[in-house]
Amino acid sequence: MNEDTPVTALAGIALVALGVAAVAAAGRRRPPRAAAPRASQRRSVPAARRLNRAAGTLAACVLSDSAVEHYRGAFHNKTMLAPLASATLSLAASAHGHADARARAHRMRDGVYALAIATGLVGTAFHVYNIGKRPGRFSWQNFFYAAPVGAPAALSLSGILGVAAERVRDTAPGRAPKLLGLPAGRALAALTSLGLIGSVGEAGLLHLRGAYHNPVMWAPVSLPPVSAALLAATAVSPSPRLRRLTKGWLRLTAIVGGIGSAFHAYGVSRGMGGWANWRQNLLNGPPIPAPPSFTGLAMAGLAALELQEQAGHER
Amino acid sequence: MSAENRYPGYDVLAKREGLSWNDATRRTIDARLSLPRVPRFFTPAQWLTLQALCERIVPQPQDPDPVPLAAMLDARLLSGRTDGFRRAVLPQQDEAWRRGLAALEAEARTRYGGAFHELRAASQDELLRDLQAGRLSHEAWGGMPGNAFFAHRVLPDITSAFYAHPHAWNEMGFGGPASARGYVRMDFDRRDPWEAVEAAPGQERQALRDNHRVR
Amino acid sequence: MSAELAEHVVDEALRAPRALNGRAPDVFRVGGWVPMREYAADEAVDFVIVGTGAGGGTLACRLAELGFSVVALDAGPFFRPLEDFASDETEQTKLYWLDHRIVDGENPITMGGKNSGKAVGGSTVHFAMVSLRFRPEWFRSRSLLGYGADWPLDWREMWDYYTQAERALSISGPLTYPWGPKRPRYPYRPHELNAAALVLAQGAEAQGYRWTATPLATVSAPRNRSPPCVYRGFCRFGCATNAKQSALTVWIPRAIKAGAEIRDLAMAGRIETDARGRVTGVHYHRAQRWQFQKARNVVVAGYAIETPRLLLASASARFPEGLANRSGLVGRYLMTQSNQAVFGRLQREVRWYKGPPSLTISEHWNYEDRKDFFGGYCWMAQGPLPIEWATIQTSSRGLWGADLRREMLDYNHQVGLKMVGEMLPDERNRVTLADEKDQYGLSVARITYSWGENDKHLIHHALDQMQDSLERAGVTHLFRQEDDTNHLAGTARMGFDAATSVVNADCRSWDIPNLWVCDGSVFPTTGGVNPSLTIQAIALRTADRIKELAARGELS
Repeated sequence: MNEDTPVTALAGIALVALGVAAVAAAGRRRPPRAAAPRASQRRSVPAARRLNRAAGTLAACVLSDSAVEHYRGAFHNKTMLAPLASATLSLAASAHGHADARARAHRMRDGVYALAIATGLVGTAFHVYNIGKRPGRFSWQNFFYAAPVGAPAALSLSGILGVAAERVRDTAPGRAPKLLGLPAGRALAALTSLGLIGSVGEAGLLHLRGAYHNPVMWAPVSLPPVSAALLAATAVSPSPRLRRLTKGWLRLTAIVGGIGSAFHAYGVSRGMGGWANWRQNLLNGPPIPAPPSFTGLAMAGLAALELQEQAGHER
Repeated sequence: MSAENRYPGYDVLAKREGLSWNDATRRTIDARLSLPRVPRFFTPAQWLTLQALCERIVPQPQDPDPVPLAAMLDARLLSGRTDGFRRAVLPQQDEAWRRGLAALEAEARTRYGGAFHELRAASQDELLRDLQAGRLSHEAWGGMPGNAFFAHRVLPDITSAFYAHPHAWNEMGFGGPASARGYVRMDFDRRDPWEAVEAAPGQERQALRDNHRVR
Repeated sequence: MSAELAEHVVDEALRAPRALNGRAPDVFRVGGWVPMREYAADEAVDFVIVGTGAGGGTLACRLAELGFSVVALDAGPFFRPLEDFASDETEQTKLYWLDHRIVDGENPITMGGKNSGKAVGGSTVHFAMVSLRFRPEWFRSRSLLGYGADWPLDWREMWDYYTQAERALSISGPLTYPWGPKRPRYPYRPHELNAAALVLAQGAEAQGYRWTATPLATVSAPRNRSPPCVYRGFCRFGCATNAKQSALTVWIPRAIKAGAEIRDLAMAGRIETDARGRVTGVHYHRAQRWQFQKARNVVVAGYAIETPRLLLASASARFPEGLANRSGLVGRYLMTQSNQAVFGRLQREVRWYKGPPSLTISEHWNYEDRKDFFGGYCWMAQGPLPIEWATIQTSSRGLWGADLRREMLDYNHQVGLKMVGEMLPDERNRVTLADEKDQYGLSVARITYSWGENDKHLIHHALDQMQDSLERAGVTHLFRQEDDTNHLAGTARMGFDAATSVVNADCRSWDIPNLWVCDGSVFPTTGGVNPSLTIQAIALRTADRIKELAARGELS
């Protein structure tokens, strides 16, 4: 496949996504099924929108990261376009959810998010299969350089956060939001904690590949685990004091995601030829789109805390 | 180019201004492409024999702009650059070449009654095959083993001139100079956009188009 | 020299010395300089080191860091890779030792790029970066394996120096190495594998042998001012990226920073001795004239040809057979390594010009003793550039004419495996002085080499094994490159006593206490792996030993 294919593909996907968003926005104008009490709306909708933003941030990371990585793989298999399409749709659905103030799930968004979960799962299976057939199989060499095992899971995670956003938004008036029968705030805290651990694992693996040549590379494997642990603790036994501490760490984690991209951009500049040689260094250097996945997960964690607080008020 | 064109339209020189070439490379290749095509080391007679010999070792019958192999070898011998050693059975490279060309000429005249460069290609090849097999023993060799001269001077010196030329890189699909930019995609059947496209049968037009984009 | 210059286009470094007037080239910056300490010719420095490669460069660095005054001479130029290195096989022959030499014997050694460099940094400027440890038993191959000679070094001590060398060079290697005793994790991670390297892996797995990513001295992530490797594939023609961790980019800058003086384009011609039979300094040719540097100690680190050549050329009335040569062993026991290969073709595109040439390795036959010959070998993936590939075709298959040109069109589909095999030390393989003179007026080296029966056995075994491996990986149109060697060793072997060796375990000559040899010449055996890491480990040890001896007052 030649070099301008991904650009064309991205443009196409973006157009499709815009179309979907437009249809969804049109659907919004239909009258709501039932008028929800204003108080409840005020409680669940902001948290749901926060979750939409978290899902969208993750989707944006996946979109740009898989675009770069699969372009590197020359899109030799057409299914390598799937995560680009799915992530674009998730991004659009999340933007739509962010703009949506109503306390009601949206069928199109739910569908898009479900697709993201499925795409992520299929992607993981593909990546595992690819590693399994390479010489060395499940070896460090292949974990470092073959299809990254953990990457597609970020798309699933984005979808799960999106679905959660819809459930939280859909909470009946006067009820506390629930996920899988559990209090939403605590369930989400547990889920986000797992997501953070997964991302830490991936950053740890790739930074190991980079031999931690810069001490700053320890940041994403030392700060977010604390957030993950604190979030898990709030899932088990929430308390206002713990939440305050957790909130602080999550904000720090969100910042780590942003700063990470800046460091990765610096890493790209250190490659031979610097940014002028971007066609090589962007692909072989540190992935600039990857670190903000921490930001997305931190946002999800903050949403979980917000939901816990609301549950506390209602108790 | 050659009859078989596996990388249609690929020209490594199209990358000259791009990131794959640095200044040192540009100066080097520019100098190689602008060598004078007249003998400076060899005599006019040796030059005729050498040109004919080069055409047999690396034939370029269909090339509209053949690589000037004799001129490249002449320039190298003039510069004095050696391999860094000589086999005890061979004299120094200057002497080996002068004597070897004279001996080849003498062999041609003895066997065919004509100058080497005027023989038919088949006769030239026949003579060279005998040289390679160590079957030539004219006194003009002066004790220098013809097969050693062929194996350690003729073949490496002429072929290393040809494969130092961008024309050769084009037909092989070699990426050519590569600094500052190297390569990204290293797996089977992968190429970077700045590498040559090999034309699969029936895909020549597509390959031609893509190869024109190589920079 | 002047005639030689015309061939090289980018030649500023070759024309006149660069390390002068209190400054030396900054290898990491175009046109850059770093301050350099200088010593007066009549000031007796602690050490004059002849040669700045894996042995001399490493030793110069460590001795300077330990506080000794050091002047290191190199016959070659002081390059700045970023501005001096073209991506071109022909131009970059300027990195090789191409001064005149004569080769003979039944199997004359091909010199030049395969085994000798002429540049500050020596052969490490163009080496393939393969950085392997010896198998521990090789340090006692006579006692434990029944061939060659024992080293006066203990493998456990060497293991520590290997670790130091690997750290200093930030070797990029696998997390765990499949053969030999446990070793610490390599400082940097292995490189991504190219298709040629994957073929080795496929073949090895089909044979049931282990394989791994080769530990390489080129970084897989940034290190100080070295950017990560860009996989340009010109490694053996000089790294224009500076990702390569050579003596030029690692030891020399450290040496200069620690106060050593490097003199480029300085060809040593003779070591001077006094009436007491001690060396007093080195005569060398630089800037069109012969000069003399006084020294309390002289270290010869010119590798297995130039080291014995200088020792033999320094013969005097007191030492008529040359310096450090009472045993008569200087120049003897020259070893090279068998470097045969099997090549073939794949339907798929391989494009082996990308990436370092030897990204994967199998050391299976270095650690397997069930075989009917002595010594071991490993094999590695290959990636010859066009001229080298054409030379393989002409030398191995005698191809020329239309056949050659057609065969060369398959370049992007070719793969191969190449061995590095142990050749046994043989007293008859040697370096002597010939009557012919070089451009400095010095006698050139005559290099005599013949393979022994064991060497032929080992080569034959390896060729069969490599062919089997490629066949199992689905490679077709196989052919063998049966005549190739690389690397050098021997000619000033270390040992246990003055009668059977030239230097002791500390690389100090038995005959002249202030004369040292520190390079691959001191190897009593050569092992089945590339020698550069072992040379550097020995140099690190030698520096430590010199410090201890000095502290005990045993240096002079």
